[in-house]
Amino acid sequence: MTGPRDLNAQIESLVNRLRRRQVVGSWCVSIETAMLLRQVVSATRWNQVETLIKVVKEDVGRRLVMAQPRELAVGNIVCRVLRLIREKIRTFSFYGGSGTGTNTQSSMINLLGDGSPMGAKRASPLIISELQEMINELENTYVNIIDQAMEHIHSNEIIMTVGKSRTVEMFLKTAAKKRKFSVLVAETFPTYLGHEMALSLSEAGIDTTVISDSAIFAVMSRVNKVIMGTHAVLANGGLISVSGAQMVATAAKHHSKPVVVCTGLYKLSPLYPYDEDSFNDLVAPDPVFSFNEGDLIDKVTLLNPYYDYVSPELVSLFITNTGGHPPSYLYRLINENYDPDDTDI
Amino acid sequence: MFSHLEITKGANTGLAPKEIHPAILVLGLQFSEFKICGANARCIAALTAFQKVIQDYKTPEGMGNAIRHLKWEISTIDIEMSDDEAKKLLCEKIDNFIRDSITVADRVIVEYGLQKIQDGDVILTYARSSVVQQLLLEAHTKGIKFKVIIIDSRPRLEGKKLLNCLVNAGINCTYAFLHAVGFAMRDVSKVFLGAHAFMSNGALYSRVGTAMVAMMAKEKNIPVIICCETYKFTDKVQLDSFVMNEQGNPNDIVNISTTLAPKPGLLSEWLNKPDLKLLNLLYDLTPSKYITTVITEVGMIPCTSVPVILREYKPMVQ
Repeated sequence: MTGPRDLNAQIESLVNRLRRRQVVGSWCVSIETAMLLRQVVSATRWNQVETLIKVVKEDVGRRLVMAQPRELAVGNIVCRVLRLIREKIRTFSFYGGSGTGTNTQSSMINLLGDGSPMGAKRASPLIISELQEMINELENTYVNIIDQAMEHIHSNEIIMTVGKSRTVEMFLKTAAKKRKFSVLVAETFPTYLGHEMALSLSEAGIDTTVISDSAIFAVMSRVNKVIMGTHAVLANGGLISVSGAQMVATAAKHHSKPVVVCTGLYKLSPLYPYDEDSFNDLVAPDPVFSFNEGDLIDKVTLLNPYYDYVSPELVSLFITNTGGHPPSYLYRLINENYDPDDTDI
Repeated sequence: MFSHLEITKGANTGLAPKEIHPAILVLGLQFSEFKICGANARCIAALTAFQKVIQDYKTPEGMGNAIRHLKWEISTIDIEMSDDEAKKLLCEKIDNFIRDSITVADRVIVEYGLQKIQDGDVILTYARSSVVQQLLLEAHTKGIKFKVIIIDSRPRLEGKKLLNCLVNAGINCTYAFLHAVGFAMRDVSKVFLGAHAFMSNGALYSRVGTAMVAMMAKEKNIPVIICCETYKFTDKVQLDSFVMNEQGNPNDIVNISTTLAPKPGLLSEWLNKPDLKLLNLLYDLTPSKYITTVITEVGMIPCTSVPVILREYKPMVQ
């Protein structure tokens, strides 16, 4: 068991790395957060479950979320851990604890709050093993998603994608081992992620064509389906995705082409987009209009949003590590994985 | 998919047949390097070049309605007329055509368009249309208070010239790229777009990306207004962007800088990779359901009335 000082150092280290964007990508962020929380749970001394929940939620969880508020995966993992803790305590008190064995929250707290450190000692390893299972599930996310590649991609299809998503890349490369198809990649200005994606796909032997963002509508009539990744999935099924994704999804809807989103469940957030802008960042406009183009700079407003909000009506299917789901099913997944008390982290 | 469309390779005047007039060669070079951009500018340049050619008495090549008009003029010239007189007459006719169908038409379109711009409007436009530019400048001169959002796209970056022009006139402008159109569209009250040609089925053939902007505006129920002279109307019908289009230089996609100095990006070795292709389309087709109204010099018409104009006003157009 690590002492509290080591634990604090670890927490500080992850908070700093998140703040400096040294941990890149939702998957890496999720795994690091989960591992840190496992350390926290095993190192914290608790008698009442409220103590543990307070430590995870407020002391550690809130700091991690504040370090990088746009990275919703951090909050998702914290919520999942809290849910796991509460679930385990509930089942533990139902089956193993002394007393009436009722399932209500108050009786559970009383059971363990009667100053019985035995309860905590017995529940703790169960919680930690659940956390470990969650970490294993996170590490196997990609494997579970790409196993479904063959069902969705057929021969001689033309698939459109936008941006660079590790999940979609692996998805397409897996399908390419057995099927012959073409991919159109939108270049995704100004990040040019499309260029990287196209290079990577062509090196795997997939017939790839790069198109400029403006040609997306023009070529959409020949595309069979759109497959894209996302930065986060919100509670209503909407996506926070790379800028340009809304264009692609709308064009696909107008041509009645299915839009498939490949994502791990760790990206599913219990937050709801009451305002489309609250999850968006406007980043430096330099790629749009650089300083050396001179004196127009201070007379003009430049817009360079980093993310796009895609509404759930535009998405046909989510392919996740637990299988394929329509956007209307996500509320069940949220109910199973998150508690309503935790959404205010 | 696009193999039926020829890719424009770099122009090489050494390969041109010797009989072609140098003015046309210069014109061809300027077109292929996109030194002259935009339908009106190209048309005027072509016709001016033809004037020079007619002076030197060579047979010109074809360019749509304008050329049909010219041929008709040539064909109706009195056989008895002397060569000098005929040439002078033809040059005058060309000048008249430019004046009537382009310059004066633009002024009439601007007059009509001014009725559609009110105080407090937020107007979105895409790339650079000469008519829309004139309309916005005129509206500003008339003292109407409005804001403009200019959407631009790679690789042509035509919106920058429009931005320069409008900012120097003192108009409040916002500049964004196509990826931000969903974000920018939320405050917009009207969308003004230009045209390269208008098909008889009411579809708009314009700079690639126009269809995207029109579609996003339609999604948010924002009116899409096209400013188009009648000489751009054509008898052809087209259903999608594939059957007739032009491909630009694929290396424009490789170059990732937005300034004049080219900066090659990740795809600079694309020719060595057998599975990697680049596609640089120049035009696209906007279906008529995304267009609210078309402002022409004969009035404001719905886009489905294009064949009617062609039939009724053909004598006037010619």
